[in-house]
Amino acid sequence: MTPFLQACINGLLTGALYALIGMGLALIFGVMRIVNFAHGAFLMAGMYVTFLLFDKFRINPYLGFLPAGILLFAFGYLVYRLLIQPVRDKSDFMQILMTTGISLILVSGAQLMFGADYRQTSIELVTSVLRFGPFTINAAALLSFVIAAFFIVGLQLFVTRTRTGEALRAIAQNREVAPLMGINVTRIQGLSFALGIAFAGIAGGLLLPALYLFPTVGEDYTLKAFVIVVLGGMGSIEGAAAGGLALGVAESITSLYLGNQWALAIDFVLFLLMLSLKPSGIFGRQRA
Amino acid sequence: MNSLRGWRLWTVLGFLVASAGLPALTPNDYLLQVLFRIALFAALGLAWNLVGGYAGQLSLGHVAYFGVGAYGLALFTAHSVPKWISVFLAASVAALFAAVIGSIVFRLRGPYFTLSTIAFAEVLRLTATNLNITGGAIGLTTPALFTGSSFWTLFYLSAVILAFITFLVNYWVSRSRFGYYLLAIREDEDTASAVGIDTAGYKLRALLISAFVTALGGALYASAFQFIVPDNVFTIDISVQIAIITMLGGAGTLPGPVLGSVLLLGASEMFKSQFKESHLLIYGLLIVVVVLFLPEGIVGGFEQRLRNRKKTPVDAAKALALGGD
Amino acid sequence: MPILELDNVTKRFGGLTAVKSVTFALQAGEIVFIIGPNGAGKTSIFNLISGFLHPDEGSIRFQGKDISKLPAYQAARRGIGRTFQIVKPLASLSVLENVMLGAFMHTSSTRKAEQEAKKILAFLQMPHLENFPARGLPLAALKRLEIARALATMPKMILLDEVVSGLTTSEALALAGLVKRLPEWGVSVVGGVEHVMQVVMKIAHRIVVLDHGAKIAEGQPEEVVKEPGVIEAYLGPRYKELAR
Repeated sequence: MTPFLQACINGLLTGALYALIGMGLALIFGVMRIVNFAHGAFLMAGMYVTFLLFDKFRINPYLGFLPAGILLFAFGYLVYRLLIQPVRDKSDFMQILMTTGISLILVSGAQLMFGADYRQTSIELVTSVLRFGPFTINAAALLSFVIAAFFIVGLQLFVTRTRTGEALRAIAQNREVAPLMGINVTRIQGLSFALGIAFAGIAGGLLLPALYLFPTVGEDYTLKAFVIVVLGGMGSIEGAAAGGLALGVAESITSLYLGNQWALAIDFVLFLLMLSLKPSGIFGRQRA
Repeated sequence: MNSLRGWRLWTVLGFLVASAGLPALTPNDYLLQVLFRIALFAALGLAWNLVGGYAGQLSLGHVAYFGVGAYGLALFTAHSVPKWISVFLAASVAALFAAVIGSIVFRLRGPYFTLSTIAFAEVLRLTATNLNITGGAIGLTTPALFTGSSFWTLFYLSAVILAFITFLVNYWVSRSRFGYYLLAIREDEDTASAVGIDTAGYKLRALLISAFVTALGGALYASAFQFIVPDNVFTIDISVQIAIITMLGGAGTLPGPVLGSVLLLGASEMFKSQFKESHLLIYGLLIVVVVLFLPEGIVGGFEQRLRNRKKTPVDAAKALALGGD
Repeated sequence: MPILELDNVTKRFGGLTAVKSVTFALQAGEIVFIIGPNGAGKTSIFNLISGFLHPDEGSIRFQGKDISKLPAYQAARRGIGRTFQIVKPLASLSVLENVMLGAFMHTSSTRKAEQEAKKILAFLQMPHLENFPARGLPLAALKRLEIARALATMPKMILLDEVVSGLTTSEALALAGLVKRLPEWGVSVVGGVEHVMQVVMKIAHRIVVLDHGAKIAEGQPEEVVKEPGVIEAYLGPRYKELAR
């Protein structure tokens, strides 16, 4: 029983970061129906920025993620106005192509700037553990979890309690009618996209201490992000949070019983199962 | 739609003869290898064109069939099945996979469809990496279909033949009811259903043909390099590349995929030698530029301009007024 | 035997009942129009008959056989043609090619399909538009194209959803004249309109009136429009008094 619960705990800890990634994509895809195949690449960018701050300025990633997030917010807005907006109303085909192109540019850009070598940060927190009875919790993972939880709750409050958040949901529900309510659709969409990218960047920064860093590290995460969004239900931000946690736990348990290699496979299996059986996701209301 | 009469037919034949004659001019093995890739991807692009171009279904999981072709060749020959039979057997297995995958993914629309095609390909990649029969991450060896000093010439010519056959398939499709039905599915599935088209059935048929050819390409590739690993023959990069070259050249057109392969792979080779790391960057920039300014691809944009030159909506209004209602 | 029978057909979408126990029949050779205000359920009924939706309760019979559960393409193959309220041309194909798609249901030869399509376009007085891309055509032409494409499938019955809406009066009258002739070609007609136009009055043999998913009247056009329930549905309760 204990290993199972331990796996669940570890899964939840990782799941919080997945939740961040998923919520970011939910903002972009769920709310705006923009297919962002570059989500993982932006996460990678966040990781590199955080890494630079650590490498050059000795800023701890658990602080450095914040400026990385802000930088990516600005960058995301720019990308939206220049490259995404022109394809916003075009077919999904075009959006997927465009974001794939952006992803290629980002990844090869990183390769040119930093080389393909694996980088790593060394923070003591990563190796220290806390013990609660029979369970061990990695201190760094716990810190990420707390920070991520803060952002998850924050985004949820933002979307449900603020005017801008409401505008966002209005656009999600009906893009044609929203301008009639006095909503500046372009600006809010740009903001939404930027916020989604920022969340990817923050997740990247928080993941940095735990992973090796290399230009293609983000690839797996784009797919993961879509899996999470589908699990949680299209257009549902809180669904993505739940989906992220669920995925973290699912991966962790799969790892425990079938080994690490199959952990990634469970993502796709869940994805395909969800799409086949309940396309609207755990919390969703819209159809696939 | 497209007719191969007159100058078009001669262009195609001329191109074919010229392609076949190329090895005589470039006995350099490395160059032949590059040409092999170009011809192979032209074939793969033409195969993808049926599903992604005519039927309008953006599959980014075609590498699944490529990989099954490669691994099929390796595994069948390991069990003493003759080389050439293994190739076609592997392609048939790929078609079977396509039947299964297609019956699931074609129920989905838009990005969900695309994502699920990626998911299936990734599952296959992970399975190949984790099972022992497939050699795990270490991979498998595959037999060479040809041997001797004209190794690359023969592989190149095989690729050209595959591309030509796939071109003919595209040509036949474009003039047949099958092709029209695929176009209808691309334009509007509801309208297609309303005129009695079994959309799911036709999409599946297009996929089966496409998968079969793609697998042939995979087997050919595996045989040329004689060693395969999952990250090589099941990588999403191949899926993306096939889609890009077709889009760049012009999806749903006949010469599009060929042109796209020649341009993109050719440019990529040139850049590889000049700017080693930046060829991916060029790819990415090219995609962005094409999407922004040339969404129909090179050939598609050309054809569109030809069409528009002939008839415009204003002409239509005039014709209506004169035709009298 | 009626060519089409709807028997207590009900369709719900979550909490909304779009079609409530609707029953009516179409005899071969008839032109029946379903009228009702926006949201009355006309398009849902068309979707139910043509297989794009399936009834929750009740049954639909076409030529005596139950078609309630048929998918759309099979309904089309059985001889049910339809147009869509919001026209759906195959945009990048030419007018001729659009109609050929319909003709392909009975031939696999491209040449024969082309000949058939040309004949239909001639019947609809559109032969000069053959090679124009469907995209960018004016609405009147698009509406005719919808009909042409459906006729090319040689249906026994055609569903015309809002086929004259958005047209000028003269365009609508011209098209109506054409629709009136369809039974001569062996095609029975079920049309749907929101507004009781003079067009409908001229060509319909019978009308069926829907309001909020339920049938509230049926009969000869001139009589039905005078019924108080019908007037109330369209204009509100105050005008009901005026009818008496």
